Amino acid sequence: MIPQKGMVKVSTAFERIVHWYLAITCFLLIITGLGMMFQPLHFLAQPFGGLKGMKTAHNYFGVAFIPALFITALLWWKDAGVFDFPSDLEWFKKAGGYLWHVDDVPETYKFNPGQKLFFLTVVIFGILMIFSGFVMWFPKGYSKEMVRWMFSLHILGLIAILTFVIVHIYLGTVGVPGSAGAILTGYVPKSWCLKMCPKWLRQKEKEGKLEYYYESH
Amino acid sequence: MAEKIKLYDATKCIGCRACQLACKQWNDLPAHQTKNTGSYQNPADLQPNTWLLMRFQERETNTGEVEWLFHHNACMHCTDAACVNVCPTNALFHTKYGTVALDQSKCTGCKECVAACPFNIPRFDPKTNKVSKCDMCFSRLERGMEPACVKACPTGALQFGDKNKMLRVIKERFLALGSKGHLYGDKFLGGTHVLYILPEKPDVYEAIPANPKLPEPLVVWKDLLKPLSLLVPGIALVGAFLHYLIKGPKNTISKEEGGV
Repeated sequence: MIPQKGMVKVSTAFERIVHWYLAITCFLLIITGLGMMFQPLHFLAQPFGGLKGMKTAHNYFGVAFIPALFITALLWWKDAGVFDFPSDLEWFKKAGGYLWHVDDVPETYKFNPGQKLFFLTVVIFGILMIFSGFVMWFPKGYSKEMVRWMFSLHILGLIAILTFVIVHIYLGTVGVPGSAGAILTGYVPKSWCLKMCPKWLRQKEKEGKLEYYYESH
Repeated sequence: MAEKIKLYDATKCIGCRACQLACKQWNDLPAHQTKNTGSYQNPADLQPNTWLLMRFQERETNTGEVEWLFHHNACMHCTDAACVNVCPTNALFHTKYGTVALDQSKCTGCKECVAACPFNIPRFDPKTNKVSKCDMCFSRLERGMEPACVKACPTGALQFGDKNKMLRVIKERFLALGSKGHLYGDKFLGGTHVLYILPEKPDVYEAIPANPKLPEPLVVWKDLLKPLSLLVPGIALVGAFLHYLIKGPKNTISKEEGGV
């Protein structure tokens, strides 16, 4: 995927690396977690030398996930962690124009409310996954009832995160063509930006801070 | 193979702890140094190397006298065993005798059974990173022998045999005891494969749960959230595909807007 002249820069190299750091740890956690929980998926334990190895790997992938989540939260909190009312509510009522025909979807800044919801789900459930995971790993000192509920909470977090991840991957690839550049090269077509983050684009242009591909290469 | 029952008749028990010792001998579980906690009970609790513990409890009766209660405490071998239900690797399994055995080579040390057990039986050993518990001497049962604890009992407080036979033994015993005995274990978790005859009501004993059941969080997790963890992401996956087919991808490349 080679950027073309006239494409605009929407992400820094640091942001892209953090995105993939989070994505890869998250992916490994989901694979090893599902592999433990469902018996037909036990074959996934083979690269880890068996289920015991996969369980240990899952624990340490979880440790690696902590800084990834922490940096992610700090990095995108401003753009993706705060809803703008009432325009974001209006956007939700129209499902962002993704489900049925809508002529006037409220314009969004860098991230649309759907992306914000995904970001908040990952951050909030990510924290709950870390907490419940540590209680499951080191249950000593917690009441039995508490440890039991942590197992339920851990799988609730899986449902929330995995469901959103699937939607996220669809909309980041074939669902919204042109998006993947944002996490690969950092450049997307300007027309993509006009549709996906018009307010942000106009502000950057006004400030004269919009970076085009041919200018920096 | 007929289901087997181990009967512990506390009205015949003298608290000699021969069963506890026999368990350690047969299963090769040497004792470690313990501390005196002011009780005859030793060690203070079940341990990774103590699968069977004689519990001793003192209580004051209504007339102000001190009464000494003791009972045999080990795995109850439930029919609806919470530990078997949660074990992700089948390390814990039901044997053909209805008992619950443990294949330690399959144990990943996830400790889910420790949290799940309503009787607080499995113990996690951080040194081996594995769980252990009484398996009703599965190795002995396979050779037609009774569990080591039963073999060692000098008074007949512990008896072992086919379920039908043991239910007859219990019936006969209750004819002699009348209302003085309380049967424990037959009415919960699908019936346990260890049954107690107690001289007191079960709720008098500190270490005997009066009404053990599958913990609610476990039911929520296994029967509701586990299927949902495939169903909900599955719906998202199918939904995304149908969205692509019906509504189609978002048009983000339109020439009139000057895009590339």
